[in-house]
Amino acid sequence: MIRIENLHKRFGALEVLKGVDLHVKPGEVVCIIGPSGSGKSTVLRCINRLEEPTSGKIVVDGHDVMDPATNINAIRSETGMVFQQFNLFPHMSVLDNVTLGPIKVRGVKRAEAETLGRELLAKVGLADKAPKFPDQLSGGQKQRVAIARSLALKPKAILFDEPTSALDPELVGEVLEVMKRLAREGMTMVVVTHEMGFAKEVADRVIFIDQGRIQEEGPPREFFSNPKHPRLRDFLGKVFSHE
Amino acid sequence: MAFQFEPSVVIDTIPLLMRGLKLTILITVGGLFFGFLLGALAGLMKISRSFIARKTAGIYIECIRGTPMLVQAMFLYFGVPMAIGMRIHPLVAGIIVIAVNSGAYIAEIVRGAIQSINVGQTEAGRSIGLTRFQTMRYVIWPQAFKRMIPPLGNQFIISLKDTSLLMVIGVGELLRTGQEIVAVNFRAFEVYLAVAIVYLAMTLSIAKGLRILEHRLHMRTQR
Ligand SMILES: Nc1ncnc2c1ncn2[C@@H]1O[C@H](COP(=O)(O)OP(=O)(O)OP(=O)(O)O)[C@@H](O)[C@H]1O
Ligand SMILES: [Mg+2]
Repeated sequence: MIRIENLHKRFGALEVLKGVDLHVKPGEVVCIIGPSGSGKSTVLRCINRLEEPTSGKIVVDGHDVMDPATNINAIRSETGMVFQQFNLFPHMSVLDNVTLGPIKVRGVKRAEAETLGRELLAKVGLADKAPKFPDQLSGGQKQRVAIARSLALKPKAILFDEPTSALDPELVGEVLEVMKRLAREGMTMVVVTHEMGFAKEVADRVIFIDQGRIQEEGPPREFFSNPKHPRLRDFLGKVFSHE
Repeated sequence: MAFQFEPSVVIDTIPLLMRGLKLTILITVGGLFFGFLLGALAGLMKISRSFIARKTAGIYIECIRGTPMLVQAMFLYFGVPMAIGMRIHPLVAGIIVIAVNSGAYIAEIVRGAIQSINVGQTEAGRSIGLTRFQTMRYVIWPQAFKRMIPPLGNQFIISLKDTSLLMVIGVGELLRTGQEIVAVNFRAFEVYLAVAIVYLAMTLSIAKGLRILEHRLHMRTQR
């Protein structure tokens, strides 16, 4: 579904990604962990080219993302993205947030888009919030709307960039619940997260990025119980001592 | 011949100023209408990806903001006809001057408002597959426009007052109407006081209207 080969990204003199290879199979849930500044977000953002890769190859659903002939808007609509800061559109109702994509990108009729929008809001447990505005919602509710917004495009994969990091602890659960359900339904997901519990329970594969490279990867059980790379051991030690 | 203030002259002058006031309003509204279109265009060019567009807009903004409006008006009304061999109607010239002049300031208002919107909004728009144009049109512009309202209102007041400079090119606006009355009755104190009162009444009402508008917008949706 997503194939990244030898991805390099530099910001000026700073080389953030130094050759990342990652294949994500359809229906697979991949969690990416790693210290702050290691380049996790950059990998995600290169996949839908919110960030311009310096070199390397990225193929999404058979389309070369970096080929100038590829319609990048089409690829973006096939790969949803959920942000740490939600980035809901504050001037639109919750329902309009969800229907904007289908209407403008897919050309769906408004009535039809609204039916779909209400279904998706019900799916994330927010059926009654359709007419509300984002600033009338809690953080957890905002993030669930953001998930519904990306689902509205019927994407083939969804990229999550620390979806629960901006939430109060008591609101994290409701968002993870929605994500777990998506995973069970077979959605392809790449999730940058600090929620080790979620990674253990839901991921098919966990990836540790540090210093611009994938240092270790594997199925969660092995990954967490028997970390090989010393930096991963160090990182996990720090994370778990905080929990 | 001691000076004697005649309040009744002030009162009597105000109705006589209405013809000039109409022109002042016409030029302000017309000028700002085109000024906004020009300003929006130049503001968007200023942040476009094209170097040429950015530079063109930059030069326009610098030239206008760096010269007095009085000079711009005289250049357009007396200078340009020499070059094009055709006279320009004072009213048309007045509207053009206000439009071109306010456009340069509005461009900066537009640019600033757009750049003040969090880049996360653009990224969210692009991430659902909207084009650059659609993201601007449906996501960024509506939010930025709300932030433009207070500075645009301010520009409205500035341009309204600036129309008085157009008397030098013979536009019969408010101040010139007052001057014509003085030429007949020699009551400069009362007449110019009346002129000032009319300007003040207008700027205060605009400011008041803006506060109400801002409040309404704020009530409807926050942020
Ligand atoms: N637009 C940019 N310009 C310059 N440097 C950038 C830019 N975006 C990211 N960086 C730098 O690239 C490095 C990797 O950033 P990235 O956001 O991918 O890290 P991360 O692993 O997601 O970290 P975090 O856990 O803090 O989100 C950081 O050092 C960051 O400062
Ligand atoms: Mg990050």
